[in-house]
Amino acid sequence: MLAVRAGDLDCLGELFERHHRRLYAFCAHLTGQPAAAEDIVQNVFHRILKYRHTYRDDGRFTTWMYHLARTCAADFFNKQSAAPTPVDPADLHGHASADPAPDAHASQSDDLALLRAALHRLSREHREILILSRLQNLEHREAARILDCSVGAAKVRAHRALKALRETYFALRQNPQPL
Amino acid sequence: MNCQRIQDELLLEALHDGALPPGAADAVRAHLLTCDACRAQLASLEALAAQLDRIPVPPAPTDRMRAGFQAMLDAEKRALSAASASPRPASGLDRFFARFFPRRPAYQFAASLSLLALGLFVGARYLAPETKRPVIAQTENTLANAASAAELAELREQVNNMGRLVTYSLLQQKSTSERLQSVLATLQLKTPDRRLLTDLVGTLALDPSVNVRLSAVEALAPHTGEDLVRAGLIAALPRETAPLVQVAMIELLAAARDTEAAPIFARLMLDERADPSVRETARRALAILNTPNPSTAALPRRPAITKTMI
Repeated sequence: MLAVRAGDLDCLGELFERHHRRLYAFCAHLTGQPAAAEDIVQNVFHRILKYRHTYRDDGRFTTWMYHLARTCAADFFNKQSAAPTPVDPADLHGHASADPAPDAHASQSDDLALLRAALHRLSREHREILILSRLQNLEHREAARILDCSVGAAKVRAHRALKALRETYFALRQNPQPL
Repeated sequence: MNCQRIQDELLLEALHDGALPPGAADAVRAHLLTCDACRAQLASLEALAAQLDRIPVPPAPTDRMRAGFQAMLDAEKRALSAASASPRPASGLDRFFARFFPRRPAYQFAASLSLLALGLFVGARYLAPETKRPVIAQTENTLANAASAAELAELREQVNNMGRLVTYSLLQQKSTSERLQSVLATLQLKTPDRRLLTDLVGTLALDPSVNVRLSAVEALAPHTGEDLVRAGLIAALPRETAPLVQVAMIELLAAARDTEAAPIFARLMLDERADPSVRETARRALAILNTPNPSTAALPRRPAITKTMI
């Protein structure tokens, strides 16, 4: 990244190759929408390019990248909540997501689909920490740096999120609702 | 250890995470041996965590993303090369001058320092003949030149003094009443020294309070015999905006019969924006300056100006 900051833009291509999959996975889990995740990753790299002069050597590049990803994702969620959400079931067919259909999921693995549904019902804060610490296998220290909080706070947040996930998951299993 | 505490403090999650200190972990484990509900909860938690680990990594992003990124990177590169190319076509002149500049920052710094030193030396050597001018004037025996040079020096000194005063008052930031008191204190002195008079002139020119400036005029009134005081009054009059102070200054200058003030009086008299009473006073003061005999002309006294009028 230091080379990119110094003006060697080819190095950014290398950074993209090294990190984009991981970043994409984070965004895809966070949004649940592959197309949106692709847009966010593109935005992140656009911002890296645009704000490369502000990159400081004292942090790790991935931390900075996740920081940018979180702001881009926040922008996405804001835009999404501002846009009218379709409520009529007839409309929903027009807005079919690119995810595999829920019933396909169900036949594949009921529990996994349920778990995904539960994950998406969590607050964004809880979902974020679970993705970082569980799905991306980051240490609490690293997650804390990304989330701008202390390690202790990250731990507590992770535990609280796990508890919330467990409760949501079992609530859904007891009383399955349309996904 | 009880179920409530385990729930409240998220101890099962912490235990599962391995985040509990050994003592606390043992206590939770001891509780688990006796409590079926908590044990079941831990089991479900572990099952859930295992399942969480099985959530597949999202399918690889499409090529659209890489293409988009590449396009963006190329655009930025083009913009960068365009930006670096357009302002400097690397002319021969540039390269010619570039040869004279050292590459290393330390040398650049040294070069700029030596340039500065050279500039100071040249400035001191060739641009300071002003101090010699009176000498030249005297050798030519032109008294007028000597007088104007002395006046120039005096004015310069005044400017310096005023600058010092500004710094001083900015540093002090006294309150209005304190400044007023210090001006009033000078009224007691029969023969104030030059420094004090300069301070008073500075106060008259620069003090933000009308009261303080008016007091300064009063304090200066007995000393209009001094050139310094008259010059200060003339310098401060055009800057003055408060009619009361303007009138007091005009009267003082007229009483001192300082003919150098005549142009300022004339300007004030014709100034449309000035207060009518100021214009009237300026007109009368001009009339006084124009009367030939100083002893017979006396400015008709206006009602005494008191600070309660403000």
